[in-house]
Formats: sequence, structure tokens, C-alpha cells
Amino acid sequence: MAQNTYIGASTRSKEAPRHVTGRGRYADDMVLPRMLHACILRSPYGHARIGAVNAGEATQLSGVVGVIIPDDVKRRSRPFKPGRYAAGLRVPIPEYASAVDKVRYVGEPVAMVAAETRAKAEDALELIEIDYEPLSAVTDTHAAADPSAALIYEELGSNVAWQGQVSYGDVEQAFAGADRVVRENLKIHRYSSTPLEPFAIIAEHTPERLNIWCNSQAPEVVYEAVTEALGIDNVRVIVPDIGGGFGQKIHLIRKYAVLTALMAVKTGRPVKWIEDRSEHMMAGGHSCDQEFDVEMAVKSDGEVLGVIIRDTDDVGGSISTLTIHFTNKLNNLFNTYKVQHLRLEGRSVLTNKCPVVPNRGIGKPGMCFIWERMMDRIAQELGLDQIEVRRKNLIGADQFPYTTPNGNIHGSGDYQELLNRAIKNIDYDEVRKRQAQSRDTNRLIGISVVIGVEPGGRNAARDMAIFPESKQMPGAGGVEGATVKLEKNGSVAFTLGSPSCGQGHETTAAQIIADVLGVAPERISITGTFDSALSPWGVSSSNSGNNFHLYDVGAVHGAATRLREKVLTLAAHLLQTDKASLTIENGIVGRVPRSGSAEDDSITFAQLGKIAYGNQALLPDGFEPGLEQTYYHSHPHANPLMIPDAHGRVRAQYTFSSAAHAAVVEVDTETGRVRVLRYVIVSDNGTLINPSVVDGQIYGSAAHGISVALGEGFVYGADGQLLTLTLLDYGKSTTLETPHVEIEHYPIPDPFTTLGQKAAGEGAAIPSPAAIAGAVEDALTPFGVKVRHLPLSPERVWRLIHESKT
Amino acid sequence: MYPAAFEYFAPGTVDEVLELLARHGEDAKILAGGQSLIPMMKLRIASPRFLIDVNRIASLTGLRQEGDRLVMGALCRHAEVGRSGLVRLRLPLMADAASQTADVQVRNRGTVGGSLAHADPAGDWPAALLALDTTVTIAGRDGLRTVPLSEFIVDAYTTQLGPIEMVTEISVQLPKAPSGGAYVKFEKRAGDFAVASVGVQVELAEGGQCRSIAISLGALGAMPTRARAAEALLLGRAASPELLTEAGQLVQAEAQPFADTRGSVEYKRHLAGIIFRRAFAAAVDRALGREVETLHV
Repeated sequence: MAQNTYIGASTRSKEAPRHVTGRGRYADDMVLPRMLHACILRSPYGHARIGAVNAGEATQLSGVVGVIIPDDVKRRSRPFKPGRYAAGLRVPIPEYASAVDKVRYVGEPVAMVAAETRAKAEDALELIEIDYEPLSAVTDTHAAADPSAALIYEELGSNVAWQGQVSYGDVEQAFAGADRVVRENLKIHRYSSTPLEPFAIIAEHTPERLNIWCNSQAPEVVYEAVTEALGIDNVRVIVPDIGGGFGQKIHLIRKYAVLTALMAVKTGRPVKWIEDRSEHMMAGGHSCDQEFDVEMAVKSDGEVLGVIIRDTDDVGGSISTLTIHFTNKLNNLFNTYKVQHLRLEGRSVLTNKCPVVPNRGIGKPGMCFIWERMMDRIAQELGLDQIEVRRKNLIGADQFPYTTPNGNIHGSGDYQELLNRAIKNIDYDEVRKRQAQSRDTNRLIGISVVIGVEPGGRNAARDMAIFPESKQMPGAGGVEGATVKLEKNGSVAFTLGSPSCGQGHETTAAQIIADVLGVAPERISITGTFDSALSPWGVSSSNSGNNFHLYDVGAVHGAATRLREKVLTLAAHLLQTDKASLTIENGIVGRVPRSGSAEDDSITFAQLGKIAYGNQALLPDGFEPGLEQTYYHSHPHANPLMIPDAHGRVRAQYTFSSAAHAAVVEVDTETGRVRVLRYVIVSDNGTLINPSVVDGQIYGSAAHGISVALGEGFVYGADGQLLTLTLLDYGKSTTLETPHVEIEHYPIPDPFTTLGQKAAGEGAAIPSPAAIAGAVEDALTPFGVKVRHLPLSPERVWRLIHESKT
Repeated sequence: MYPAAFEYFAPGTVDEVLELLARHGEDAKILAGGQSLIPMMKLRIASPRFLIDVNRIASLTGLRQEGDRLVMGALCRHAEVGRSGLVRLRLPLMADAASQTADVQVRNRGTVGGSLAHADPAGDWPAALLALDTTVTIAGRDGLRTVPLSEFIVDAYTTQLGPIEMVTEISVQLPKAPSGGAYVKFEKRAGDFAVASVGVQVELAEGGQCRSIAISLGALGAMPTRARAAEALLLGRAASPELLTEAGQLVQAEAQPFADTRGSVEYKRHLAGIIFRRAFAAAVDRALGREVETLHV
């Protein structure tokens, strides 16, 4: 292979021009003949029993073609089986695509109308009458766990739907040997990545099959859900452009795919359903509010010996994602630290809130928050420097590849150096001087330096460490395909196995193919977006779990490498030389050294394409015509510990990027307003394929994590009403509140991946809440304030100050 | 997110608007900038059967100086106010408000007249203009009448506009030098409604005493109000830190906020005192001829 020309360069984006000029093609841009428009009636109550439903008037409204009410859903569809996100469920509870007997959160779908126009469908929605018997709503895990609380699922006998634990090392002994135990109660609230495009689905039922166009990040979920619910096994799922995913579009979208498909079956016409913003806010899925009671056993010098975490997850009003925030904590259970003894106890509590879904790191921001808040707390209690306590416990640069006590293998890294560079880049000592000066004013300066990992590459067998009784093995490791084709005209086309949510997959994949094949990225294009009938897809074909860098990159590289071999075989035959003497540059296969005559020396991709598809006489004996190669990739280093060993050790994910974050904040002590003055990240994402694409991922995820810490989030009233239905009320930071994020790359290639690459996606959303919390606490040192809970809205910060004075 | 069906009218004169209002009564709604009404219609919180779009009525547009008053047509957009040299020079309080209302798109479409007629308790124009000598001109079937802004808004989302009336003009007295004003808005995020806002307009005597002072409170009650007790305390006196602390306490006492997702009663009341002091300082600085940028607190 020629040396890298394009890998490592910020080549021009292939997809950005169409997106910034309004030429993206999203599900809502698509129009099918005879298509109906659907909308959904949702529960106005947090908790209520569904009585009589009268849709007569709605059905008779002119323009209305179909109405689905709970009875239809019960009669014409099957409930979902509890999947691996609900592995800990004690009693198998059927869950249909819509509410059928009770509503358990505001916004839960109850009925659907399809009409000739969306406006007509919305008119009809207002005519459906439902008798609700309101039940008392539970919105707090402590109240929900009380035996007297209203039961959200009577079958379970308790709102504590799951309890369990994992333990590594000898925690009791670690605590017995400690000089001190540092304890803290920490909380992270409910939020969402609020993708610009909410859910979008079109379903069409033809005599041959059910076609679904939807913006699912994980098409397999929709593919299996409609088969399971409707009994239709000939299903095609097509995913056009997606306007942001972040995990939101993995799970709950299946309910709507089933309802829309059911409507298409019922009416015999194609049906489009587009979710609106408020629907997405109330029912599209939230991250989980998590509460942690943490104990860390420490030596007087700051060394952490052992850890006990009691995690309470508020999973909302559905059993379908009972344990995802807990199981994902295995992925960064030890963050960057070499501690050997840890017990994580969990319980999942049902409440009358929106179900929880994967969202930019799932449980990982919580896990990092625990470690980084505790490092600061340990330093305070022991009178040590906060950075020194981290240094004391970091995995050493000489320990890689490092296996964590729970079986994760960190391939490479240098955590001390990330800290060094972050401290230098933020002018740490200078900030400390300014901080001292700020102490006489009402604008206090604070600084914090934190560190975290970004795991990448799925391995669902992880869950078996927590649920060893699982009868069915969840898809272990990963499988993903890609196809690369040299076209008849000499251009190169490729097909990915997975959808993209806007992360530049087309650009990045083209760079890899360009270097492997020896052709400029401008000559390479993607054939289209995901199509289950055409894409080479496997269990990792989902835009989640930081899969792309591991599985898709491996598949693209593998397919391009195979194609290169085939191109060289054909060229060697035609040039009457051996393969080893050939190189490829700019789409021309040439002999080195040159023999003299240009015709004998080289052959272009276009010439090869014409021959490979069109001239059998010129092909070598036994040569399969065509120049198209598909390759399915699994991580070649998925073992050891692809499935759990006897100690429950398992590779929760396969690669571990890492980053140090340093934040400087200013707190207005009169109003509680926090301003982020500087934000520095030093990031090790392994080999960078496109630095500008990676920067984009870091900017976006940092902006989100900072906004989460500063106050965006969902707020429920005691009656279960969601009070934050619009982006305005939800309070996401705008560009004016978001700091400029200064990035330094410090890449250390991963020894086990195709190109040395590691994950680059949600990473900066993982440590950033902890960085902001630490900096605010540092600023408020004169008040002795402890920051335990997010978000740090102005009022929350003002209260912390106010309460410290009284 | 589609409104219920409605019939649309685009009259060219105020008289035609009044005729349509007379014909369709309570079922009709006037559409000006549409920045509140259209979202309400899309959410079906409002479902007027008749929509009277007044944007084609040329006489309602723009702003101008008439003698010692600034006169804005009811359709004058927030952005026009913010761009006006006269406003920036003589009424910086209004420039503060214009630059902080919602976002650029809303400021380009939303109108001053619509904001006053909507009377959102957290609206910027009702609060800001209450610190100035502001009158509202109303057209009805008996002709025009003019009322002070303090009487125009009577409750949350409620004005004294009758069913067959519309706002045509808003007029603001240009303050006499040396005077200055400032509107300080505390918002959770840029573009949000105020958690609390305070407008201060002050005219200084030679010794630095307040020859006149007006303090208006926004988002601190069902409708914007003047902090009369604090005004009375400061009138005729030069501000000292002690006096301002006391005035701030009076402002807090006069604020009657309600709790919502933007803040608790206690916090909003606290903020009222803090941002009053900041607004007062900026207003005095401006009165003394110092350049003060719009405060972002």
C-alpha cells in the first residue's frame, strides 16, 4: 500500500455541501403516491387507566382514512418481548407499540389518525374521546420505592423493577485497609441531545413486502420490531439522511415504526408520520436521572483502594430500557484509574416520566462524574492537591495494554501526559493567580482539570456479566460489512453497512479507500444511504456504541484491500508483469521500474473497469469478472474476554480514547450565573483519519456536556406533567453561552485496530459535566460549597451560595 | 403542528380592519409580526376562525420623531427600534430591550405594537416602555384614543383593547438631558424570556440627585409594574450604596413574581434587587454621558 496521503488529512467534506445548501434528503422530503399523513394522540396524564375510547367522530371527518385505537393495537399487533435493555426484568411484561390499558407517562402514544393531509389528521385528533381514570403519578425515585406508592406496573409488585450488582476484586478487604473512607451523594439529571430532526417514518405495505423509510440509527431494531409486532417477515428498512441521532433514534422509534406500519397495513396506503418537537421532548426518550451514593476507601496519600457505588436509576414509565444506564457503566467502570476493588450496586426505579434511552454516552457521563467528583472530594478531605490525587491513581503509561479489573483492555494511552498538557494549555498557575485576585469581587474564578475515557465498539455480551442467567446470548462482539466497487468508468463507489447521522462517514471512508486503492477522494463516492436490502450489514450496523471507527473502518479497509488485490491481479495480467512490481497512483496502475513504452508500463482504472465488466477474452484464467468486493469485519482482537469469564470480566467495549478537560469559569455570586471563560481539551483518539471530522465530534459533544452541566434539562411537575416541552423552556445553551473549545490532539495509535484508530464521537460529553462541576466548586471555595448535583443553573448556584451563608 | 383551519384577510386600511373585527367579533384575531400568535395557533392553544393580517397597512409601519416624542407605528419591528440612531442616542433603555428580545429572526418580524397588545407578563416591551412616558394610540369605530401604557395593560395577557379596536401607534417622550436609562434582563439563555427584568430611567440634577426616576419591573408579576416605593425613596436624592441597598430591598418587596421553570419566587425576588442596582448604575453612567454597552447579566 502506498503511504498515507489522505488518512490524517482534513479533506473536504463530502456530505456537508448538500446539507448546508438544503439538498439533504430526509424522510420528510420523500413523497410516495397516495401517501397519507399520520399524527398521534398522546396521553395528557402522567398515570391513568384508559377507559372507553370513542373515535367515531374522528373516523367520520372528511379526509380521514384510518384511525388506530388501543383495541386495534391489541388485536392486530403483538407486544415486544423484553429485549436485552430489559434483561433484568423479573416478570415478562408485554409492551405494545402504544398504551393499551394504562398510560404511564405524559406523551405516551394512545391513538393514531391518518388523513389526506397532516392538518386534517390533526383536526381529527381533537375529536377522539378517551375516558381516563387518573391515578396518582410518581415522579421521584424515593417516593416511587416506598411500598405505599402507586404501582406503575402492578405485575411487578413494586416500582423497584430491578436490583443487582457487579463486584470486582476484594472490596471488603480494601475498605478494611483504608486510612479513611470518603463518602458523597451525587446526582445527574434528565436531559437529551434533542436532535434537530425528530423521528420520521414512512411505511408502505405492498403485496411483496413492508417497506419502511425511517431515520433509525439502528435499523436492526426497527427491522426486528415490525416483524415481531406485525408478523411480517419480508421487511425492507431504508434510512435516508438523518438529522442527528446521539442515541435518541435507537430504541423508542420502534413503537412508531410499528404504529405507522400498522396504519399502512390497515389503510392499504403509504403512511408518513413526522414527530414534532414537543412530542419528541415528552416521549422521544430521555437520559436517565441517576443518583449515586459513593464510598471510596483511601490511604492518607490519596491512593484509592476500593470503591462502593450505590446507583439508583430513574428509568421512567417503561420496562423496555430498564438497565441500559447501569450496564453501560461497565464500559468506563474504572475511568482512567488503576484501582482494583470496586462494587457497583444498582436499582432501576420506575416513575411516571418518559422512558430512558441511550443518549451520548448513556451511563458513562455518570460514571466519569462519580470518579472525577470523588477525586476532588478525596483531595479536599485529605488536604491534598486535586491533580496530584488523580496522578497518584492513574494507570501508568508503561502499563498499556492495560486490563481493568472488569476486563476492559485499554490498548494505549498516556494519561499523565494528557493532564500535563491540559494544565499547560490552560495556563493553570496564571489562572490560580487571577483566582486569588477575584476573591475580593463578586465574580469568582474557578478552575478544574478532569480526565476520562471514551469507549468504542460494541460488545453486547457485556450484559452477561450482569445477567449471567440470560438464556440467550446477546450478539457478542461485532459484525459489519462494506462494499467497494471500481466502476466501469474508473470511478470508485462504496456502500457502508450502517447509517450515518451526520458524522462525516462518507468523507472518512473515502479517505481510507483513497489511500488503499491509490485514487483521489474526489473519484470516490458513496452509493447511497442504508438500505437493508442492499447494504452489507451486521449486528454492528448501527450508528451507536461508537461503532463506526472500529467496525465500519475495518470493513471499508478490508473491502478496499481486497479490491486492490483484484485490481493488481488484473493489471499484472494485462501488463504482463507480476503484481509485486506494480504500484497504484491517481487511479493508474503502473510498473516500477519503468520498461520504456508507456503502453506497456501502465493502465488506468477506466481501462481496467471496461475490461473487467466487458471483455472476457482479456481476463486471466479463473478470474471472476467485475471489480467489486464486499468484506465483513469483526474485531480481530475481540478476544480475550469477548464473553465473560468466571469472574464476570468482559470487554464491555474494545477501544478507549481518552481526554483531559480543563475549564475556567467565572461565577457571579449575586445571580449564580456561571460563565465558562476557557475550555481546553487534550484528546487521544488514536490515529486521526480526518482531524476536522474528529474536531467536529469533540466540539459538539463538549458543547452538549457543558450545556448539561449549566442547566439544560427536563423538569417534571409533581403531577407528572412535563414542564419543558419546547427547546426554549428546556434551556439548551446557545452559541452565546457555549465557550470556544480549544483542542489539542495527542494521538497514541491503538495497537489492535486497523489503522491505530480509536473512538471519536460522544467523547467530550463524558468528562465535561464533571469539569464544569469541579470548576464551579473551585470558584466557590470561599463559601465552602460542595457541588454534588447537576445541573448548575443560576438559581441552583445561587442557592448553594445562599445556603452556605445561613 | 398545523393550525386549525381559518379564513385569512389582508386589509389595506385600519378602517377595513375595524370592519372585519366588527363582522367577526371574538372569532377574529389580528396578525402583526406573528411571533406569539403563530406558535400558539400551531400548538392549537389559539384557534381563531378569522385571521386579519395587518402587515399591508403602510401607515402602521416605521418610527419617527415628532417634536419631543418618538412615535412608532404598531408594526414597527423590534430590529428597527434597535437600529434607530435616535433610540440609541436618546433612549438607550429601548435599545437594550430591542437587542435582547428573543433572537434575530423574531426581532426582524416581531412588532412593538403586537408585543404590547399580547401583554405577556415576561414580555420585554411592556416592561421596558413602562419606565418611560409611553402612550398607546388605539383606533376604534369612534376614531382614535390615546392611553398611557400604565393603563393599557390591565392583567396578564389582557389589555383594555375593546373587541373592535386595534393599536396603531406607540409614542414615547424623549427624556431631557442629563438623563439616562437602562433595561437589564436576566435570562437563562440568550433569546429566552426574562427570569426577571428591570428598567430604570433617571434624570439627574446638577448635584447628582435624581430629578426624576422611573423603575419598571418585568416578569415580576402578572403584568409589568413600577416600583413606586423605591422611586419615592430615590427621588430628589443622590444615590449612595446604602440608599441603593435600601431601594433594592423596596424593589424586592414590590416584586410579585410567580414560580415557574425559570425560577422560584424567592430567586426572582432576589434577582429583582440585584439587577435593579445594576440597571440603576448603568442609567446614571449614561446620564453622565458615559458610554455603557447593554448589560448581559
